[in-house]
Amino acid sequence: MAEAGQAREAPRVVLGVIGADVHAVGNRILAYSLRNAGIEVENLGVMVSQEEFIAAAVETAADAIWVSSLYGHGEIDCRGLRGRCTEAGIGRVLLYVGGNLVVGKTPFADVERRFRAMGFDRVYPPGTSPEAAVADLRRDLEARG
Amino acid sequence: MTLANRRIPTDEFERIREEVLAQWPTGADVDFAEAVAYQRGLPASSRLADRLAAASREGTTLVQPRAGVALVDELIALLRYLEHEGEADLLPTTIDSYTRQNAYGDAEKGIHESRAEGRSMLNGFPAVNHGVRECRRVVEAVSVPVQVRHGTPDARLLAEISYAGGFSGFEGGGISYNIPYAKKAPLERTIADWQYVDRLTGLYEEQGISLDREPFGPLTGTLVPPCISHAVAVIEALLAAVQGVRHLTLGYGQCGNLVQDVAAIRSLRLVAEEYLDRYGFGDVHVSTVFHQWMGGFPQDEAKAFGVIGWGAASAALSGATKVIVKTPHEALGVPTKEANGQGLRATKQLVAMLRDQRMDETAAVREESDRIVAETRCLVDRAIALGEGDLAVGAVRAFEAGTLDVPFAPSRFNAGKVLPARDDRGAVRFLDPGALPFPKDLLDFHRACLEERARRERREVGFQMVIDDIYAIGKGRLVGRPR
Repeated sequence: MAEAGQAREAPRVVLGVIGADVHAVGNRILAYSLRNAGIEVENLGVMVSQEEFIAAAVETAADAIWVSSLYGHGEIDCRGLRGRCTEAGIGRVLLYVGGNLVVGKTPFADVERRFRAMGFDRVYPPGTSPEAAVADLRRDLEARG
Repeated sequence: MTLANRRIPTDEFERIREEVLAQWPTGADVDFAEAVAYQRGLPASSRLADRLAAASREGTTLVQPRAGVALVDELIALLRYLEHEGEADLLPTTIDSYTRQNAYGDAEKGIHESRAEGRSMLNGFPAVNHGVRECRRVVEAVSVPVQVRHGTPDARLLAEISYAGGFSGFEGGGISYNIPYAKKAPLERTIADWQYVDRLTGLYEEQGISLDREPFGPLTGTLVPPCISHAVAVIEALLAAVQGVRHLTLGYGQCGNLVQDVAAIRSLRLVAEEYLDRYGFGDVHVSTVFHQWMGGFPQDEAKAFGVIGWGAASAALSGATKVIVKTPHEALGVPTKEANGQGLRATKQLVAMLRDQRMDETAAVREESDRIVAETRCLVDRAIALGEGDLAVGAVRAFEAGTLDVPFAPSRFNAGKVLPARDDRGAVRFLDPGALPFPKDLLDFHRACLEERARRERREVGFQMVIDDIYAIGKGRLVGRPR
């Protein structure tokens, strides 16, 4: 907890690529960019299950879980994540998701609506710069106080 | 089990086969003798190895898409579209990511959800779940060869069902479908599992059924220097030949510098044939496959066509036997059939226009090609030495020692020390060679290439160059110049 007059400690993010997805390149760059931006990163790498995300978030008292999915199974893989966070006692953790989230070319507004309905706080299309998502994270944490 | 580069004895193969076919209920439908008879009855137009050999003789470059959806009738409609509207010479069946992890239960769920939702909820075709008879419906529905493309570390059951199902080619290998596609799969395990796939291919070959085996060339598809993918291709080719494989297609993923790309295809054929000859496999037929740019694409479809066209031109000028085609939807994920067809037709136009032009014997290409061959020999020979003569063991030890090291691979059995970056003309060089066993002159060459770029860009050689290069094509350049 940040006391008045003290600098707030660095935000903590659990990072990983969900499901059976092995896209490793963006994950490596995202981790590098987050650390450069002063974020504490627990990077779980590729092929991360919902259980692994949640266990890492509980263990590190993370502010946010950042889920990547590039291979099109994101919708199946992410279903129920918010509920499982709540069951694990971290129902308030911020959930961000980004990548190529569904199979086939779908208007991003539809994708965003689907994932918001699944309990994600932020949904990003491919090609989002890491800096944009970091700025959102700081804003969301600020809003919570 | 002890890993060794020797042909799997028949009794051992049959024992493993019993376990493999029991991994999912559809395995019970595989009957080798019946499958051989079925394959023999397929028309010549369905045989990939024949089609590739003919293209090699004629000096043409065949075009092939990637494509796969969850349900059989939808897959058939998609492949027919790509054959007739996309003018594809060869067809694929791309397998979904659950099947690639042997998660057949999840794939089954994906099939049911796809039926319920009326759209494919899987990113490919779960061939194991559908089984032999349904695969045959796919192969019989089109009049060109169909190859299975995937990314499966343990593809033994998938191979059994694919071959019995009439597919005439099978992509992958013990290294190339492990290091870029798995996190925790030990190399000893996947090399042994792919020896099984290769032995199975050899058993068909001995019955007169030539099936094409294609190690996956591009690996992580991200700035992979040609010598790394060539070394893996040569090792997998030798391991396959020992098991009786006689038709190999070796691959390379486009880097983007024309001289380097043409030199890569030229050197790939040369160095592979050199090693196959040396080990007594001069009778193996080698084709080459050029993969259009595998990294990030521009979102804008017109710009994406530019990238596709450059890949098509490079493939044609290199004389590759076939080219694997991207689509204008690449930046957005799995494409529609129309987008897939557009990528194919754009490629077809360029390949046909350029069929009488070659660049592979120009001086600049020969110089680059000679260097790639020299680098590849360093990597392969070190693996042979580390294995004390056994290449299967040597491959495992080479990855342990980091003398084989694939950039950006997810596997924990990959050292991950090597870092590539583009030089001032866009050729991919080593920014950090990690533990690759190169002599001083080669190391100096790569360093000098990057120093030249750093001077031009007025910055230090460093990781930021790598990041800039990875995003460059998506942003409209080849070399990631500073913003």
